Amino acid sequence: MGDNKSDLLQGTLDLMVLKTLESMGPLHGYGIARRIEQVSDDTLSLNQGTIYPALLRLQQRGWINSEWGTSENNRRARYYSLSRLGKKQIDKETESWERVAATMARFLASSR
Amino acid sequence: MDWLRTLLSRCKAFLIRDKLDEELEEEFRSHLEFATEENRRRGMPENEARRAALRAFGGITQIREKYRLRRGLPLLDTIPQDIRFARRQISRAPGFAAIAIITLALGIGANTAVFTLTHALLLRTLPVRDPGELVRLAIDVSAVESNGHDAPLNLPIIEAIEKQSRSFHGVFAWCVYDFPFKDGTVNSGIHGAIVSGNTFESLGVRPAAGRLLTPADDQPGGGPDGLAAVISHRIWVERYHADPSIIGRHITVTDHGATIVGVAPAGFEGVIVAEHPDIYLPIEFQAVLYGQPAKRDAGRLWLETFARLNPGVSRAQAGAEMNTLFPSILDATIPPALRHLPVIEKARFEVKPARTGWSQLRSQYTEPLLLLQIMVAAVLLICCANLSGLFLARASARRQEFAIREALGAGRLRLMAQLFVECLMLALPGALVGVWLAWMAGPWILHMLGNAEAEQAISMQPNLAVLSVTVACAMLCALLFGMAPAWTASHTSVEAALRNSHPRASAGGTGLRNFFVPFQVALSLTLIVVASLLGTTVARLLTEDSGYRTDNVFFVLTDFLRVPEHGEALVTLYRRMAARMEEFPGVDQASVAAVPPLMGRWTDDFVAAENAQHAQPAEAMENIIAAHYFSAVGIPLLAGRDLQNSNSDRNSCIVSQAAARLYFPNTSALDKTLRNVIHNRRTGVDTIHDYQIVGIVHDTKYDSLRESPPPIVYLPIAAGEEAVTTNAGSTLFFIIHARSTIAARSAYLATMHEMAPSSPEIPAVVFSQSLRDSVARERLLSIMSGFFALLGLLLSCIGIYGLVAWNVTRRTTEIGLRMALGATRVRVFALVMRQIIGLLAIGVLIGGVAAFFAARAIRGYLFEIHPGNPVVFALSALLLVLIGLLAATLPAHRAVSIDPTQALKTE
Repeated sequence: MGDNKSDLLQGTLDLMVLKTLESMGPLHGYGIARRIEQVSDDTLSLNQGTIYPALLRLQQRGWINSEWGTSENNRRARYYSLSRLGKKQIDKETESWERVAATMARFLASSR
Repeated sequence: MDWLRTLLSRCKAFLIRDKLDEELEEEFRSHLEFATEENRRRGMPENEARRAALRAFGGITQIREKYRLRRGLPLLDTIPQDIRFARRQISRAPGFAAIAIITLALGIGANTAVFTLTHALLLRTLPVRDPGELVRLAIDVSAVESNGHDAPLNLPIIEAIEKQSRSFHGVFAWCVYDFPFKDGTVNSGIHGAIVSGNTFESLGVRPAAGRLLTPADDQPGGGPDGLAAVISHRIWVERYHADPSIIGRHITVTDHGATIVGVAPAGFEGVIVAEHPDIYLPIEFQAVLYGQPAKRDAGRLWLETFARLNPGVSRAQAGAEMNTLFPSILDATIPPALRHLPVIEKARFEVKPARTGWSQLRSQYTEPLLLLQIMVAAVLLICCANLSGLFLARASARRQEFAIREALGAGRLRLMAQLFVECLMLALPGALVGVWLAWMAGPWILHMLGNAEAEQAISMQPNLAVLSVTVACAMLCALLFGMAPAWTASHTSVEAALRNSHPRASAGGTGLRNFFVPFQVALSLTLIVVASLLGTTVARLLTEDSGYRTDNVFFVLTDFLRVPEHGEALVTLYRRMAARMEEFPGVDQASVAAVPPLMGRWTDDFVAAENAQHAQPAEAMENIIAAHYFSAVGIPLLAGRDLQNSNSDRNSCIVSQAAARLYFPNTSALDKTLRNVIHNRRTGVDTIHDYQIVGIVHDTKYDSLRESPPPIVYLPIAAGEEAVTTNAGSTLFFIIHARSTIAARSAYLATMHEMAPSSPEIPAVVFSQSLRDSVARERLLSIMSGFFALLGLLLSCIGIYGLVAWNVTRRTTEIGLRMALGATRVRVFALVMRQIIGLLAIGVLIGGVAAFFAARAIRGYLFEIHPGNPVVFALSALLLVLIGLLAATLPAHRAVSIDPTQALKTE
């Protein structure tokens, strides 16, 4: 179930989450999911729930932190924020992603 | 570092998982509320907004399950669940569980039993410091003596090694001994050892109480405590109730006072496997018993020697060094009369690993045990194939259940893990019962070793090493027989399984099941062929004519080191004692021999004196005897006369037919002269001694029942060279033919008391028993392999029965339909049997090939039966096929009695 739908490339979602937190500051899970959907112009239809295992993975690695807080309309929610380690990680991940993307682009261009 | 951080966070999460579960629920809840609110703001009605939020979120259960798997330690979470679930499943089908457990108990029990013995005899590492450094030093005499034993050393050789070799340190010697033991009122025999003073220091063991022996104890005249004795932890606990005050206690060992100075550590049983000394005395005790010359006698090889390799020296290097030093060490130590015996001339020095100690039994039993280990592994594979089949059948009946669980969010891995736990819950009780079975069978297996000492000393109690192997075995089984069902279960398409609700209609795993039966049949056939070959071998060996009378013949080893008589007087003593025994009622004949029947061989070079100029001396088996030897052991005298107990026969000899043919191929050997040639390889000088042949006797075997009778020359007992007591060396046997054991025993004891009161009494060997024990190895192999073959056969039958029964159930509708359309019962019966006959045929074919190779591999153990014996192969296959068909007939019969209306109605 589920795994035959267009799964995101491993690590892609991680980088999206990190990037989102970098640009938006602390945010709750729904916020992150919505932001990713908006930035991708809703072309990326991920099940919003899949964001949570990704958030857990990032937390376990110590790249993001979380704490409970209250939203503007007074609702309790868990807020995620980038950790020091996470900030460093963004550069690494970005670099490696750009390398992959560039390779892919070259590959596609040459075989055209 | 990522993985470490992840692990830590997982551990923490595991501990507070209830709280985290609540938080997760709350997080999901707030997520959905945010989403619903936003949808509402966009103008959706309340219901619609909520539903859209849920849709965008995806499957909450699946996400939650995925999240949990990643969060804590899911195995620890799910295992208790799986166990509870498995318990319910098992209690739902108790008959199935019982069959599985019994099958496994038999398979695992057989493995545990064999492994316990293998571990005790071959694998147990000595409980000493750095056991890997330990080596055994010995003389390899296999070039001349065919029984494969190697010879120990003696003190002069050991001292020469210590002085000249750079490879070793902590060289120590060891000799097992049985002592008469007195302590106050206790008067008993005790199993012990005399050891070098540095033994315990070199082994690096610490005393349980008091102190251990030191080099200071091993001095002429005794050490600080006089004659010091160390007792084993076992008798300290059993006899002295672990009383620390026994240190300093005076005891009597073989009529000599000794002082207990300490207790060896618990679990230390010495370096000789299957011998557990209860008392350790210094080697000096040999001098106390028999005088200094006996302790330093260079003509006897009697001290098992061990050493530690120096750092940086490999065993091969040490061996190479020793073999260059060895000839000069022999020159310097061994008496000239013995130095150039072929057995010494052709000897090589050996440095063998002694991490696990050493045992004479090893040379005999290493290969048979390996062979048995392979056979029990085959039995276990048959078991697993059986259970795989059973589980597959059940798994296909449970397809719906698996499908529902998968639909509810269980991952495939999770399903497989659950099945594995279920298998394990059958395998572990099976292993438990198996261990119990192995424990019960232990004494019986030990008895088959045919070695009374080992029977007592080897413990068949399951220990940690054995238990862990058994548990590993059980887990492997669970994996093996759980694998097939788990694999098919996890490849079930959910929709298909749910739609196809009738279990009969599914054919999942049929192909796999069809594979198991030929597999089992092939393994069983191999086992049966091997067992039949070995069984035939034992039968042939035991009915083989050895050339002797075996009933009522007894051998008693003599130990006359302490008698005052030497040289001629000693020879006379032996003869007179034999003659004296014959005077007792019930004793028919008594004599003396250097080598009793089937107890080994000595060889020497002889040549016909008349051909001495142009013929090379040829090797023959040599035995030293006194009068009446032939009548005592029942060897017929074919020509001439027996040797007489007088010096007039000093230069007479008797030869066997084979020897007569060898040395005098064209003429009668009687009255000819036979020349004994002792060639000194170094000086090139031959020492010769002529004997006149006064008699010719029937051929007999000496070394084993397997050999063809060797040429034998019998020489009269005579005074020997300086260090040796007679020409037979220091050990001789009394050979007694008496009406009963009691008659032989009392004649021996009375004669000993009368004529050699200072010598220890030694228990007699009963020839018929030693004959049976001489095939102990083959007997062990044949009985065990026979048992395993039966087990394999039984299990295969269950497998065949199971497969056919399952097929019949699965095809009930089809069969009903066929019958309704007019198929006769015979047709239906043939339909069911056809498949199993095909599988049997494949199995027999593969098994035949496997058995052919297995039989070739055990060729060395066979006697007078060709490994490819077609009768054995044909009969084994026939037996297997017949029993297999029988097993298939029962369920096939049920197929025939299917009622078509009933069968079609249930569909």
